[in-house]
Amino acid sequence: MVKSKILVVEDDPAISNLIRTTLETQNYQYHTAKTGSSALMDAISYRPDVIILDLGLPDMDGVEIIEKVRGWTNTPIIVVSARSEDQDKVEALDAGADDYLTKPFSIDELLARLRVALRRVRAEGERAGEESNIYQNGELRIDYAAGCVYLAEEEVHLTPIEYKLLCLLARNTGKVLTHNYILKEVWGSALASDTPSLRVFMATLRKKIEKTPSQPRYIQTHIGVGYRMLRQ
Amino acid sequence: MDDEKRDPQRFLRELKNQEDNKKGRLKLFFGYAAGVGKTYAMLKAARQAKRDGVDVVVGYVERHVRPDTLALLDGLEQIPCREVDYKGIRLKEFDLDAALARRPQLILVDELAHTNAPGSRHTKRYQDVEELLRAGIDVYTTMNVQHLESLNDLVGSITGVAVSERVPDQVFDSADQVHLVDIEPDDLVKRLQAGKIYREGQAERAMGHFFTRENLAALREIALRRTADRLNRTAQRTGHEHAARAGEHILICLSSAPSNARVIRTAARMAEAFHSGFTALFVQTPETKELSGDNLRRLRDNLRLAEQLGAQISTVYGEDPAVQIAEYARVSGVTKIVMGRGNGRRRLLSVRKSLADRLIQLTGNLDVYIIPDQQPLFRGRYRRILGRDNLRFSWKDFGKMLLVTALATLVGFAFRAAGFGEANIITVYILGVLVTAVWTNGQMYGAIGSLLGVAAFNYFFTTPEFTLRATDAGYPVTFLVMLISSVISSSLAIRVKNQARQASRKAYYTELLLGSSQKLQQGRDEWEILQLAAGQLSRLLERPILYSLTEEGKDLDLRIVPAEKREEMARCFTREELGVAQWAWVNNKHAGATTDTLPHAESLYLAVRGMQGVMGVVGIPIRGYPRPEAFEKNLMVAIINECGLILERRRLRAEKQAIEMESQQERLRVNLLRAISHDLRTPLTSISGNAGVLMERSISLDEAKKQELYAAIYDDSMWLVNLTENLLSVTRIENGTMRIRMEPELLEEVFQEALSHLDRQAAQHHITTRLEDDLLMAHMDVRLIVQVIINIVNNAIKYTPEGSHIELSACRRGEMAEISIADDGPGISDEAKPHLFDMFYTASQGKADSRRGLGLGLSLCQSIVQAHGGTICALDNLPHGTVFRFTLPIAEVTNHG
Repeated sequence: MVKSKILVVEDDPAISNLIRTTLETQNYQYHTAKTGSSALMDAISYRPDVIILDLGLPDMDGVEIIEKVRGWTNTPIIVVSARSEDQDKVEALDAGADDYLTKPFSIDELLARLRVALRRVRAEGERAGEESNIYQNGELRIDYAAGCVYLAEEEVHLTPIEYKLLCLLARNTGKVLTHNYILKEVWGSALASDTPSLRVFMATLRKKIEKTPSQPRYIQTHIGVGYRMLRQ
Repeated sequence: MDDEKRDPQRFLRELKNQEDNKKGRLKLFFGYAAGVGKTYAMLKAARQAKRDGVDVVVGYVERHVRPDTLALLDGLEQIPCREVDYKGIRLKEFDLDAALARRPQLILVDELAHTNAPGSRHTKRYQDVEELLRAGIDVYTTMNVQHLESLNDLVGSITGVAVSERVPDQVFDSADQVHLVDIEPDDLVKRLQAGKIYREGQAERAMGHFFTRENLAALREIALRRTADRLNRTAQRTGHEHAARAGEHILICLSSAPSNARVIRTAARMAEAFHSGFTALFVQTPETKELSGDNLRRLRDNLRLAEQLGAQISTVYGEDPAVQIAEYARVSGVTKIVMGRGNGRRRLLSVRKSLADRLIQLTGNLDVYIIPDQQPLFRGRYRRILGRDNLRFSWKDFGKMLLVTALATLVGFAFRAAGFGEANIITVYILGVLVTAVWTNGQMYGAIGSLLGVAAFNYFFTTPEFTLRATDAGYPVTFLVMLISSVISSSLAIRVKNQARQASRKAYYTELLLGSSQKLQQGRDEWEILQLAAGQLSRLLERPILYSLTEEGKDLDLRIVPAEKREEMARCFTREELGVAQWAWVNNKHAGATTDTLPHAESLYLAVRGMQGVMGVVGIPIRGYPRPEAFEKNLMVAIINECGLILERRRLRAEKQAIEMESQQERLRVNLLRAISHDLRTPLTSISGNAGVLMERSISLDEAKKQELYAAIYDDSMWLVNLTENLLSVTRIENGTMRIRMEPELLEEVFQEALSHLDRQAAQHHITTRLEDDLLMAHMDVRLIVQVIINIVNNAIKYTPEGSHIELSACRRGEMAEISIADDGPGISDEAKPHLFDMFYTASQGKADSRRGLGLGLSLCQSIVQAHGGTICALDNLPHGTVFRFTLPIAEVTNHG
């Protein structure tokens, strides 16, 4: 099996070292960059499968790097940042990042997020081959043509909005979608007055497709930020 | 010591000087007639200034001037004139905006008394000059004596030529320098004859009318005297400012009479001569409310004239002007009253003395000056004797009158049938007239009703019946008495009715004014206060009102009350209108419709003033609405002033609070730093110590021991992580710049998030959640609330034995969501409870050096919950244990599904 290639953009030597050591133990291939400009060069020449990006770089703002990278590729970007404000995360996610981690983070957490991102890359590669009308994720199946949703071969009855929400999350499996993004896509607006509705629809949707809603398998809540569909 | 005492005053004087320095200086070249050489003198002075290195620009010089004057223009920079198209004529006007943009040190603007072409910003050129001065630009200008407002009549009576372009005396008196350009009248006539002033033909005419030797001599005398007067005044002003005002106080009464302007000018000259206070009083009576057309326009002109001549304008409201004036004079310490002879009004059926006579009677020892009224009495005034409104005919009122008379007749027949005498029938008719007077508008119907009643009585009830003849010799007397008593009672009834209406109106205004003061206090922020004031004005003036706060460095953000009128009033939100409002703000002056500045605007803009500057701007739409009356205007200004003061007070208080808050935060920060540096040492020592041991002696340690050290390092670093989160939360609350961001969140999700961040020890406790309603939502900054729950649950874990139960629950309590975290541990002692939420308090006070010494958690929880508008408390759980309970505002869901 081909080793996945990871680009690590981090200027702090200790953190960089920690991430490298972790990646080594897990048999990933990696490359490190210390500045924004070298990161952009490497993103082109090294063609990584996933980019792990620190937002606080000496020469360039991380959000700017995300925007530039998104100019030509959909390579998953996992943001690692010491900024704990939700606003910063939302900004990075809206710019096109797939996921974020706040320092201090645990190594297990980082590896788990990495696996999610890699699965997404692989799923996208497969999907490119066959333009499918069926979405399958664990026991969850969406039949786009019929507009039906099945859980363990049993049909789940969703309201139109819940169905739209589910499809949106499914289309972006593995990616954290911000509240604003979802509101814009499903409601067509990003009015603050709609956010309570979004919370409620999410909660009812989850009750319908999760066996134990308190430990969700499919829809993960990123509180204060958004939601994400996990691939099983 | 004495020196120190004087210091503040000197300081104030210096401050004033500095302010004067900031303003531009005005030099006025003053002459007694055209052609004395004002422009010439001005240009020469300008050339001198230029030689001295001053940045001089010619703003405007009359083009008709003589060749030798034009020659002086050479080498001086000129601002091109603005060309205005007015009814097909191209007019050249001084370009104020270009001058302001050029910002020279000194600018020349000829002909101060000039009236600008319609469509210019100001109606008069002297207002342009005032704006230049405010902008800090020095101005040279020219003016002739006949253009001075207060001398206008005098000059007019000497020369027989009325001058319509006038400049308020205040402009002349406040000029920094007045340069009198003088020339012998004989020389002037020679120059005129030589064609240096006017072209041939024109000169002949001018000679005939104006430039007679006698006229010129008289004008010259007036000009010289006025200049000397000014010097005198300036000398006194710089001496002792207040002493001059103390002695005399002159009062005039404003009216719509054409002669009133003369009275005002005379009084102004007297006020000047006596150096006295000067008040123009307007008595608003029911009659003045009915003024219209020419009368109203004249009243406004007179009011403005008085204002320009430096009078303080006051309005009082009442039925009888004499009483009101006397009362006002007594209260305000007036010493002299100046009035026109024709000022008195006569009333129907009331034989009264003239106003002047009554005033003299009422005021006792006041001087009353009567100015003869030379102009023919205005025709409209005869009409007013009856009262305009009384003559207005209304079919409705006429019908009412007929109906009442008919009813009275019917009752009369009934009385006669019942055998009552004629006296009873007469009283019924008089009663009918009374009813008519009260029921209809205007005296006319009462009067006609009286006549009609007499006629009906005569026709129906006197022998011979059903004729207008009366046989009995006594009847004419009966009719006469009946008519007189009818008319008197009707006019009395009308008077009573009017007084009642007036009283209720007065009460309404008073209530409005008192109410607005109270109302404004209730405004939560500055915008709301201003909005409330605008609302009061909207009620008072019965139209939508525009308003905006003024914030340094920001554009005006005009809003409207009532807000739904915005579409309808779109014409008030154009860029031009905004410009007018902006001008009112920057110049701290009224502008827009009804003023002389930008009079073509839709609205009148008033600055809302505090003591220290403009706090806001209020716009009153004028086009399409009746003009506000003088009394309403007074109220309006009172409300706006009140609003300005309240706004200012609010702003000052906010500033004070901010300062207090800051010092409190500073104290907090210092305490926090002290506590942290102490509390960080313990875990850091443990981490570095354990790591050191592992690095140096890892070989000699067995695997179990190593694992123990690893775990210690991990635990301590996790504790530090948690501490960092808490500290971040503290800065988020305390840091004023970062507001907490409230969003609706599902409590279920919040609980899950909090539980996923608990300490490792949590595994030893049984933690459960219970929600009354899965979809319960509350407004919160989710990061902070998660932190609150983590802190409380971690506390519970810390202070309860392993195996204890901890339950998180949430339920709805009216408008709030109540979140409880209950444990069944040993509970909290009663003496500890009051200190629970104090900063740096820990339950185990004995071990001050214990590693979890930083009692930041609960105090932080309290400030977070309070910042959300909720409360937090600790209660006893039954049978034992503790419940922490806090509330958050509930979020209602409006489903757009």
